[in-house]
Amino acid sequence: MANSIVALRAYRDGLHLIIRPHLSIAEVEEAIQQEMSRMNQTLVGASVQIDLKCPLLEEEEMTYLKSKLQETYNLTVRSIETFDEQAPSPIAAAPTTHEIAQTANTQNGRDSEPSRIIPYTIRSGQAEGFPQGSLIIYGDVNSGAEVRAGGDIVVLGALRGNAHAGLNGRLSAVIIAMDLVPVQLQIGNFINRRAINQKPRGYPEIARLGVEDVIIVEKFVKF
Amino acid sequence: MGKIIVVTSGKGGVGKTTSTANLGTALALLGKTVVVVDADVGLRNLDIVMGLESRIVYTSMDVIEKQCELSKALVKDRRVDGLTLLAASQKNNKDDMQPEEMKAICEKLGETHDYVLVDSPAGIERGFSNASAGADEAIVVTTPDVSAIRDADRIIGLLQHAGIEPINLILNRFSPQLVGSGSMMDQDDVLDILNIDLLGIVPEDPGVITSTNRGIPLVYEDASPGSQAYMRIARRVTGQRIPIPELEQRGFLSNIVNWFTRNR
Repeated sequence: MANSIVALRAYRDGLHLIIRPHLSIAEVEEAIQQEMSRMNQTLVGASVQIDLKCPLLEEEEMTYLKSKLQETYNLTVRSIETFDEQAPSPIAAAPTTHEIAQTANTQNGRDSEPSRIIPYTIRSGQAEGFPQGSLIIYGDVNSGAEVRAGGDIVVLGALRGNAHAGLNGRLSAVIIAMDLVPVQLQIGNFINRRAINQKPRGYPEIARLGVEDVIIVEKFVKF
Repeated sequence: MGKIIVVTSGKGGVGKTTSTANLGTALALLGKTVVVVDADVGLRNLDIVMGLESRIVYTSMDVIEKQCELSKALVKDRRVDGLTLLAASQKNNKDDMQPEEMKAICEKLGETHDYVLVDSPAGIERGFSNASAGADEAIVVTTPDVSAIRDADRIIGLLQHAGIEPINLILNRFSPQLVGSGSMMDQDDVLDILNIDLLGIVPEDPGVITSTNRGIPLVYEDASPGSQAYMRIARRVTGQRIPIPELEQRGFLSNIVNWFTRNR
């Protein structure tokens, strides 16, 4: 995640500027500047919708932001929408009950972590965990089994049970399996249930936390 | 010293007792000396499936309580030489027996028989630990449905933990038609999940119900597909190498399609 406060996204109905919780309007401004400089082409004359995923902004802050966007980047604000962060978004990611300390350093947590290898298949009713770091499993994780790791989970086989990566709140944690057909996936405190009885796709897949805090699953090519 | 084999599954109703009765009878028909032991204290069934219900005088509980000698508690099956049953007590419950007591009985029976087949109750509690206490090997019975397979997987984990090896699989109530139409898991799917050796596949056979009700194990009827499957399994248990036959997997519709494509 390049920028945790502001994200510029193109959706079907046009550009959206997503603003997440922040300390000050200056921080937002800086984040917008970062996000805009990330864009290769300028977005001259485009209109954006602002999605507020944070406590409401003050009236004057909003006006300031609108004029700033217009002047500096030539962006017209088409509408403003507020989202209640507590309500789960329709596509998944319901926060769980246990509290997880959010670590600020989500970039390089992997480097300093130890890992543990489990050289066998984990069967129904069995659970393996490694809160200190990542888990590598030379086998399957069958339906009814559970694996939990502070870091990443890599299954060199089929993942058919439950997997929970990023136990300690490292949200950059990923779950990789040769056949990713789990009952439930969890990264940090975000849960995603996939349809049960899904057929294996025949290629390895990776699950990670994307924008909007939804767990996304895609074909695994490389790190 | 004979082999002590526990027949187990985790889930109930997948065919443990039927498999024990048929495998035991089949092994006896092959000329082996076999004792089938019912470990389902309080819910015994093996005697009914074997048709020996009316001849039980003593049970394993009487042996443990030293009411009778072990040899006296064995019920002889008169239809075939070398087959006996050790019944479970129906009035006790599973906690009245200790795993060590069961183990001692099984080991003693192993001295005088080629095979000791222990019919385990469903579940993973005391009944299961009693049944598997004396076992050298295990046969896990499952049907090709997800809930039975998950339970089988659990049981395999427990058996491995107990150091019981090898663990072989009987895939019961397999329906090639349903596999052909895509509504049942095929044997590869099951083996992929459970990852143990396949001892045999028993096709869905309505003859099982009548044989259970009459108390005559299926293997006495040579013609039925279930009987043939159990005979093959028994031969594999004795160490013979018998291939698992490809079951006809095509449904009615694909037969027609196949007929057309063949004549093109």
